[in-house]
Amino acid sequence: MSSSDLVAIVVTTIVFGSIYGLVSIGMTLIYGTLRILDMSQGSMVMVGGFVGWGILTVATWNPVVALLAAFAVTFVLGVFTELISVQPLMSRRGEIDFEMVTFITTFAVAIVLANLALQIFGPFQKNVPPIIHGGISIQGVHLDYHSMLMAVTSILLMIGLGLFLSRTRWGFAIRAVAQDLDAARLMGVPVGKLYPLTMGLASALAGVGGVFLGALYFASPTAGDLPLLTALIVVIFGGLGSLKGTLYAAYIIGFIQALAIVLVGTTWSLPILYGVILLVLVFRPYGLFGNPSEARL
Amino acid sequence: MSDIAPILDVRGLTAGYGDTMVVRDLSLRVQPGRCVVIIGPNGHGKSTLLRAVSGLMKPFAGEVWFDGERIDGEQAEAIALRGMVHIPQGDGLFADMTVEDNLLMGSFPKASWKDRQATIERVYDLFPIVRDKREQRARTLSGGERRLVGLGRGLMREGSILLIDEPSLGLAPVMIDNVYGAIRSIVDADRTVLLVEENFTHIGEVADEVHVLETGSIVRSGSLEELMADRTVVETYLGVL
Repeated sequence: MSSSDLVAIVVTTIVFGSIYGLVSIGMTLIYGTLRILDMSQGSMVMVGGFVGWGILTVATWNPVVALLAAFAVTFVLGVFTELISVQPLMSRRGEIDFEMVTFITTFAVAIVLANLALQIFGPFQKNVPPIIHGGISIQGVHLDYHSMLMAVTSILLMIGLGLFLSRTRWGFAIRAVAQDLDAARLMGVPVGKLYPLTMGLASALAGVGGVFLGALYFASPTAGDLPLLTALIVVIFGGLGSLKGTLYAAYIIGFIQALAIVLVGTTWSLPILYGVILLVLVFRPYGLFGNPSEARL
Repeated sequence: MSDIAPILDVRGLTAGYGDTMVVRDLSLRVQPGRCVVIIGPNGHGKSTLLRAVSGLMKPFAGEVWFDGERIDGEQAEAIALRGMVHIPQGDGLFADMTVEDNLLMGSFPKASWKDRQATIERVYDLFPIVRDKREQRARTLSGGERRLVGLGRGLMREGSILLIDEPSLGLAPVMIDNVYGAIRSIVDADRTVLLVEENFTHIGEVADEVHVLETGSIVRSGSLEELMADRTVVETYLGVL
C-alpha cells in the first residue's frame, strides 16, 4: 500500500465517518430517550438540503446562514413531528406496541414530507453549491475544502452534543429519561417537553448534515432515503441507543468503505461493507456496543 | 398535633393495576416534621400507596392533598416540582450515570439546580461513603451504597416530604444499620418522612407514628410502643421480634 493510499484511507474514513455520525447520532439520541426508531430523520437531511439550496443557490446568502437556518427549520420540524406522530400515543404506551406504531407514524411523516417537497420543488434535483470552494492535494490525494469543513463541523457538533448531554440541566434530563423514565419523572423532568426537545435537537443535527450532503449529491425529494438507510445501518451496527456505539460504528463503517474503495474500487465498496456488517450482526445481533438488555445514552 | 395542617392528607384513596384494587379506601395524614411509618407484608399495597401519592399511577378514587392543594391526577413530574420527593423501591438510580451525576439529577428543578454544588457538598458531608464513590457508575454499587445514594439524591432539592419505599429491602443487616443511620439523620433534621417497610426491626429509631397496612387498608395505628403493647398486633403482624 502506497503512502497516497494510506492518506486516502485516513481522509476518506474521517470524512465518511463524520457525516455518518452526524446523520445517525440523532436517531440514536431519539431511540435512547424515547425508544423510537425515528424514520423521519432522513427527511430532515432532505429538508436541510433544500434549505441549503434556497439560501445558497436562490438567495445566494452566506453559508453560515444556510447552516443556521437548516438547524432552526429542522429543529422546529422535529418538534412538530414529535407532537403529531409521537405525543398523542404516549398515554397509550402500555396498551400498544409503541416502538412499532411510532416506527410507522414517523415513517408516515417522512412520506408526507417527501411528497410535500415533490409538490413544492418538483421532481428534479437542485444543485447546492459547496460551502467552501477549492481544495488541497496531500500526497497526490485531492481533498476538497467542503468535505473537510463537513468533517470538522460534524465532529464539532457531536462534541457539542456530548457537552450538552454531560454538562447541562436538560442534557442530564435526556440521559436520565433514557435510563429510567419513572425515576426521571420523580426528579421533576417534564417528559412532555423533553421529548419534543430531543426530537428537535436530533432533527437539527440531521438538517445541518443535509446542507453538506446537498452539495455532494444534490437536493431532491428522495435525498433523505440513502442517509436514512445509512443511519439505520450505523445505529444497528453500533448497538441501538448507544451514543458511543454509534460514533464507533460511524467511523468503522467509514473505514471499511474507505479501505474497500482504495483497495478494491468504488464498485465493490458497498457490497463489502454490507457483507462485513452482516457478518458482525450474525455474531453480535445487538451490535458492536449494544447488549441484550440495554443500550443507553 | 391534629390542629396543625398536614403536609400530606390522603382521603379515601383507592388504587391498583388494571381491574385489581391494591389500596382500598385508605386515609392517612402526615404532619410536618413527623416520620410516619407504614408497615405491612409484601403485596399489601405499600408501594402502590406511595406510587399513587407521588403521581406515578393514577388513583381509582379518593383525594390526595399536598401542602394544602389537591394533587391526585397530576403527573409525577408536576408533583415532584411541588416538593414531594419519592425514593422508590430499588432506588430508581440512573444505572449508567456516575454517583455524582445521579445526585445532580436530584437538583433538576430550576431553583435547586443553581445551588447544586453547595447542596452536593452537604450531602457528601452527611454520607461520606457517597463522596468516596462519586466517580463510580451507579450500576457498580452495592445494594447498601445504592440506597444511600438514593437517599442523598432525595436531599438534593428542597422537599416538603420524603416518601421512602422499603429502604432495608435486600440489604445485609450491617448495611441496614447504615441506611437507617442515614434516615435517622434526615428525621433528626426535622424533615417530614413517610416511610414504608415490611420489617419492624429498625423503625423504632425513626418512627413517630406507625400504621399497619393489610390488604390495602390501615388496620392499626399508633406509636410503635402502643402497637408493641397490643398482643394481637404483635402476634399477627410483628411475628417474632
